[in-house]
Amino acid sequence: MSDYAINVRNVTKVYGDGDNAFLALKGVDFAVSPGEFVMLSGPSGSGKTTLLSILGCVLTATSGHIELLTEDISRVKEAHLPRLRREYIGFVFQAHNLIASLDATQNIELLLRMRGFGRAEATAEAHRLLHAVGLGDKLESRPGDLSGGQRQRVAIARALAGSPPIILADEPTAALDAQNGLAVTELLLRLAKDHGHTVVVVTHDSRIFHLADRIVHIEDGLIAREEKRAS
Amino acid sequence: MIAARAIKTRASFLVRLSTMGRVGLRMMFFDKAKLLGTLLGVVFAVVLVNQQLGIFLGLIYKNIMFVQNSRADIWITPPSTENLTAGKTLPNANLYAAKVTPGVAWAEPLLYGGGSVKTPSGGTEPITLVGTRYPRYVGGPWNIVAGDAQRLSLPDTMFFEDSDRETLGGLNLGSMREVNGRRVTVGGFTWGLEPFGPSYAFADYETARELLHTASDQCSYVLVGVESGQDPSAVKAALQAKMPGALVMTGAEFKGKIEYFLVFKQSLGVSFGTSTLFGLIVGFVIVALSMFSSVVDNVREFGTLKAVGSTNFDLGMLLLVQSLTYAVLGSIIGLALVTRMAAGIRSAKLALVLPPWLTFGTVAVMIVVCVTASSLALLRIRKVEPAMVFR
Repeated sequence: MSDYAINVRNVTKVYGDGDNAFLALKGVDFAVSPGEFVMLSGPSGSGKTTLLSILGCVLTATSGHIELLTEDISRVKEAHLPRLRREYIGFVFQAHNLIASLDATQNIELLLRMRGFGRAEATAEAHRLLHAVGLGDKLESRPGDLSGGQRQRVAIARALAGSPPIILADEPTAALDAQNGLAVTELLLRLAKDHGHTVVVVTHDSRIFHLADRIVHIEDGLIAREEKRAS
Repeated sequence: MIAARAIKTRASFLVRLSTMGRVGLRMMFFDKAKLLGTLLGVVFAVVLVNQQLGIFLGLIYKNIMFVQNSRADIWITPPSTENLTAGKTLPNANLYAAKVTPGVAWAEPLLYGGGSVKTPSGGTEPITLVGTRYPRYVGGPWNIVAGDAQRLSLPDTMFFEDSDRETLGGLNLGSMREVNGRRVTVGGFTWGLEPFGPSYAFADYETARELLHTASDQCSYVLVGVESGQDPSAVKAALQAKMPGALVMTGAEFKGKIEYFLVFKQSLGVSFGTSTLFGLIVGFVIVALSMFSSVVDNVREFGTLKAVGSTNFDLGMLLLVQSLTYAVLGSIIGLALVTRMAAGIRSAKLALVLPPWLTFGTVAVMIVVCVTASSLALLRIRKVEPAMVFR
């Protein structure tokens, strides 16, 4: 096994078949070190969300080799993908994707309970995470009662619940204004660095590029170039 | 440095069931309009099923109540008897043969025939005239609300149905009426003794024989009591062997025969069965469509649950808890309504019979209906791709 948190070698993804086949990834090589904060950028249809979906174990690659920390997931059967998601991944979605009927605490507790936390332990951890994202006064607020920025903070707290080693974020600032977008990304960066999470953020938002350790540009299904930022 | 895996990764089955169940219930109660619509579907099905089956059982009861309250262990009837009907007769030789059969404690003749009561206004009203013998009076009257059965031994005295008092021209104890052309005195009243046909009216055996113009060597049925400790089936077999020209049945067998006749030969079963099935189908369709549309409305939430590690099995448990809740809540509300309805419409002519097995059976059937209906939603959930959360 490699020393990388994420190690992707020559990964391809084909959607459809025959004349309708579309090659979304054309042999991507991509690696992320443990604790690194990487942004994936590129135009629409370039394959960045497909790559994120494969890293998040919600989609399987057509070919290639993928390792998440100690596990080779290249040939894992689809039935085992939920286990991998629980073991390795925390997600932050573009539209926060919180469960509307659950309050902020319950949205986080749900994940913790499914990961085996006891009831009291899950509640305490959910409250700790909500305090950490600055929502200590919104513990029992439902998503409908929160602003866009607050919802995304709950989503970040949920992604960190149970301390998964890898956090994947899909356009986390897309639904936010510039100020909130920056604040949310800074929060994600701070919490990830504090606790050693490896983070991959898909984004178009150049206003947050300065927060990344590295920016990987993907174009037409291939890694086009990388920019390393000074820490 | 963070661990190579999340701190914990898998809950036990019971924790997953309880977690998914709580999420399912919160989703249910969050969308109140859908909750109300689905519950109404279950309540409608429960009320319709219980109302139809309650009336059906009430009608069956009205037709077997005579056999049930006769106090006879064995019935000797004319051959090919399927129901308690007027008209056919048996030779009294059967009565005498029964009396000397080992295991028989007593045997009594019964007369059962049609009669008509002349009302003060000049019209006539039909009755089912029952002749029963002093002093045992097996075969009635029962449910007496006025008078004493022993008064039947007085000359030309009869008991009538209390709910027919107005119809028969304002009957009271001591009133005189002409029955089948002969004047009789009202000696008492019964309540609720109305089968499919006209209500029962009771007279002493000899009075009834004269009113029905039955030959003195004939009767309608012979009712037999079995000595204590004797097996009614064995006594019945002995009686049947002695009486090839009659049909001998235990009370339970006769009740079963009447039920079979009503359900299958009178198409009562088809009629009530169809409406009961219709209620179940309506309930099934409403629950299935509501739960399916709930999944469609919340498809992104189900996709998210899958993306964060829930399996189809976990989400199946969520639906299971929802469907069980719909079934139990809907059954409780529906049964409460139908019980009130039963109390409201109870009369001498019609009673909704709601035995405990029907109550528990309703809950069980609604659970099956709701859980089966949720399978449509489960099929939709199985198709939800967790990758949709990135689109």
